[in-house]
Amino acid sequence: MQGSSRLVGRLVLTLFVLWTVATILFLIFRLAPGSPLAAFVTPTFTAEQQESLTRQFGLDRSLFQQYLLYMSNLLQGNLGESFFYKRPVAEVVMTAFGNTIALTLGSLLVAYAFGVVMGAVFAWKRGTWIEGAGIPVVLVTRAAPEFWLGMVVLAIFAFSLGWFPGGGANSAGLTFSSEWARIFSLDFLRHLILPAFALALYLQGLPLLLMRTNMLEVMQEDFVTMARMKGLSNWAIVMRHAARNALLPVATAFALGIGQSVGGNVVVETVFSWPGLGRMLVEAVASSDYPLAQGAFLLITTVLVTMNFVADMLYSLLDPRIAHAGHR
Amino acid sequence: MRAIAETRAVRGTRRSFLVGLGRAFDLVRRDPFATAGILIYAVFLFVAIFADQLATHDPHQILYRANRRVASNLPPFGDHILGTTNLGRDIYSQLIYGARSALLVGISAAFAVVLIGTLVGLVAGFFRGWVDMVIMRVADVALGIPFLPFVIVLSSFLEPSMWNVVIGMALVVWPSTSRVIRSQVLSLRERTFVEAARVTGCSQARILFVHIAPNVLPLSFVYGSIAIGWAILTEASVSFLGFGPGNTVSWGSMLQNAYVSQALSRGWYHWFVPPGICIILVVVAGFFVSRGFEEVLFPKLRD
Amino acid sequence: MTVLSVQDLQVHYRTSRGVAQAVRGATFDVPEGQVVGVVGESGCGKTTLARAIMGVMPKTAHTAGGKLVFQGTDLLSLSPRELASKRWREIAFIPQSAMNSLDPVYRVGTQIAEVLVDRGGMDRKSAMRRAAELFDMVGLDVVRLRDFPHQYSGGMRQRAAIALALALEPKLVIADEPVTALDVIIQRQVLDTFKDLQKRLGLSVILITHDISVVAYASDRVVVMYAGEVIESGTTREVLQRPFHPYTMGLYKAFPELHGGGTLVPIEGTPPDLIDPPPACSFAERCPFVEAACREMKPALAPVASGSLAACRRSPEADRLRVLAGEASTWLRS
Ligand SMILES: Nc1ncnc2c1ncn2[C@@H]1O[C@H](COP(=O)(O)OP(=O)(O)OP(=O)(O)O)[C@@H](O)[C@H]1O
Ligand SMILES: [Mg+2]
Repeated sequence: MQGSSRLVGRLVLTLFVLWTVATILFLIFRLAPGSPLAAFVTPTFTAEQQESLTRQFGLDRSLFQQYLLYMSNLLQGNLGESFFYKRPVAEVVMTAFGNTIALTLGSLLVAYAFGVVMGAVFAWKRGTWIEGAGIPVVLVTRAAPEFWLGMVVLAIFAFSLGWFPGGGANSAGLTFSSEWARIFSLDFLRHLILPAFALALYLQGLPLLLMRTNMLEVMQEDFVTMARMKGLSNWAIVMRHAARNALLPVATAFALGIGQSVGGNVVVETVFSWPGLGRMLVEAVASSDYPLAQGAFLLITTVLVTMNFVADMLYSLLDPRIAHAGHR
Repeated sequence: MRAIAETRAVRGTRRSFLVGLGRAFDLVRRDPFATAGILIYAVFLFVAIFADQLATHDPHQILYRANRRVASNLPPFGDHILGTTNLGRDIYSQLIYGARSALLVGISAAFAVVLIGTLVGLVAGFFRGWVDMVIMRVADVALGIPFLPFVIVLSSFLEPSMWNVVIGMALVVWPSTSRVIRSQVLSLRERTFVEAARVTGCSQARILFVHIAPNVLPLSFVYGSIAIGWAILTEASVSFLGFGPGNTVSWGSMLQNAYVSQALSRGWYHWFVPPGICIILVVVAGFFVSRGFEEVLFPKLRD
Repeated sequence: MTVLSVQDLQVHYRTSRGVAQAVRGATFDVPEGQVVGVVGESGCGKTTLARAIMGVMPKTAHTAGGKLVFQGTDLLSLSPRELASKRWREIAFIPQSAMNSLDPVYRVGTQIAEVLVDRGGMDRKSAMRRAAELFDMVGLDVVRLRDFPHQYSGGMRQRAAIALALALEPKLVIADEPVTALDVIIQRQVLDTFKDLQKRLGLSVILITHDISVVAYASDRVVVMYAGEVIESGTTREVLQRPFHPYTMGLYKAFPELHGGGTLVPIEGTPPDLIDPPPACSFAERCPFVEAACREMKPALAPVASGSLAACRRSPEADRLRVLAGEASTWLRS
């Protein structure tokens, strides 16, 4: 079938992209002038760290052998050991990953639910004051740096009003029976609200504008006119026909958004001291914890590339013109 | 006879292109949003150029009061228009100089991205075949690189400099422009005036750069005006995270300073709100200008 | 019995240049169980007329006058709610391009079931059964109910559109160029199916087309439109065999396949600007038989010898003009 060969094609491309990005990352970490993995002898490193680096990355061998080692480790999910945490990178990174996913999904869901509804409303109310006042507001939130939105939100709601905690993902001193128990605790939710709100504030503009444009376009289509001729209710016309068609690209944008947010949340995570992947990457880079930086970067990349793939598949799944290509 | 008719056709399209571009600018000016966008750009450009004259103090200088104590945390609207930082630096002057680095980064990154994106898109769309294949696969890879983390890693390995953002954007952001330009070229190369140019014996390069390129330029402008804002946002993020150059004042570094100096918990809004507003204004200006262009290029959503 | 009586209907569009009078006093009746062909060249206001009867028009359009008496009630006097309740159950529509008129994301069967459930009050199961019945009627394989519109051929789509229109057993069906997008052979097949169903179900139909051969083939009566006005109407037989308006004569001449040979002779010139139409006969500027008086006053639609209605000052001379109109040279300007 045509659909499955397309799937295989995209899958191969996805793996190719992953491999290429991993290779680029390898080269950056080995060859960039400032990287300690390139200029191995760095006096700032302790003998113990140097020894660990040599062992983990095979720095005493040729570049090609290092690459083979890097790749085979990667395939086995072995990302080395963090200097700072003294634990396997894979383990450290996965904890942060849970926090990042919670933040990403939380903010995206809110942003897209709001954006889709408001986008449809703006399209419906085209030319009224609602649209006239709404669009500039949306543009401003889209133009604002997300971390600045975070700062303002933090200053107002955490510090001036004191409604929410000022940072972190959990209150100090709390212990949980498991990772799941932690993420689904009320304490976690209380910490999550502000950063998720700040991010959602920034993110809602994209689905909103996308939805609005698509709706305006779809409302011009003949099948919407036909729906009116059929005497269908406004609700059925807008929701069942117009919105359903207008939603296709928004769904794709959502999947892409997940991939981009995981890496893009870096700044917001920093503002809210949110122990996520992005903040971990920043700290690892700043403190020269190279195994950790590399691992975090790779995980972020994997999510991004995977979600690009998912978005592509999602589109063909949701659009029958692609899902059911060709005549029978 | 035929050739004459065709050269005339070619000349006709080129003239109508110039007329079209003129009309595009006319329309952009008539669009109130686009006009606002161009005005905002003009103001910030003015500020960036005359920063030395407009600033009241050296943005790096630690200021002292008459009693020889550091002039820290002065409130706004006094001797200092926007007050001073906790280390006694003049916020207003920092803001003014921030415009300079913002525009410098924004315009050069936008230029780099659009230049690369347009050239690559032109080549891919015009030559098609394996050239196109290779370019599109490279584009796929570039789209698989997480942008901000990439710039962060890059900044930490290269000398801290605001050019890192420009390099990072040039390396990773071009594909979105390329793809659009490419599909535009794919449809343009089938048009009659390109066909006519081909029949009259124009060289490949001439067809590409004289006949096709001018027609995709407006599209490049759209992407350019958005890229400026994006570059400024990225620069601010990178500086905020502490990977920016230590010796230049930028809106991002101002925000970083404010953040680490606990301006948030102390409620020093006059310190961290103005840089954010400046960033918003410049980025919004980009949206407005690109919107104006889009209305001209894709007028179907008017009425 | 008259199902629909269109009386002096006026439809205007707001445009940037001013108000375009797209339909200017259209008058004709649709008798029960008959097919009324509305014919005229592109831009003469056929679609505008159809959409005005359906009551679904672009935001820039409005009916500026006249009546649409459907089974005794004026549709223009109804509230939007009452009108919506009549749509599809009483008056259904077959669009020109079923490709764009079917929603691409739903299966065709689902879309037929939708009107049956939403507007016909059926439950889902009997709706699907009825959909299968309808597909059978229009000559489509019932397994295609599960396909999406893009998986259909053009002819199949038009058949599906017919099935959709007949779903709620309406009194009146308005078909706007239902076969124009198809090639001639398929046109014939789809028309045959449609005509067959129309007879069997006793439907009243307004069949809109710019193709006079479609009218000749499928309709009982003809309404000829020009520049937003009805300029001739009557039974198909009379109007086509003994046209009284020079435009109808020219239109007939422009379709050589209809009268077995001869050359295709287009009518030169363009219709008047609808934003500022002249207070004269609209066809005067293109008419080979124009006289000074034609440019001074608009002729009314009046009965002529054949029993048809025609709007031409010179209709008493029609027999002589008809002979002249048969010559190609009459239509060629020097
Ligand atoms: N939305 C609109 N706004 C303004 N004018 C319109 C609009 N739609 C149609 N018109 C004008 O109204 C007149 C009649 O158009 P209409 O579409 O009814 O013609 P038609 O007879 O259906 O033509 P065709 O055979 O091409 O479908 C034309 O002059 C057209 O330009
Ligand atoms: Mg029409």
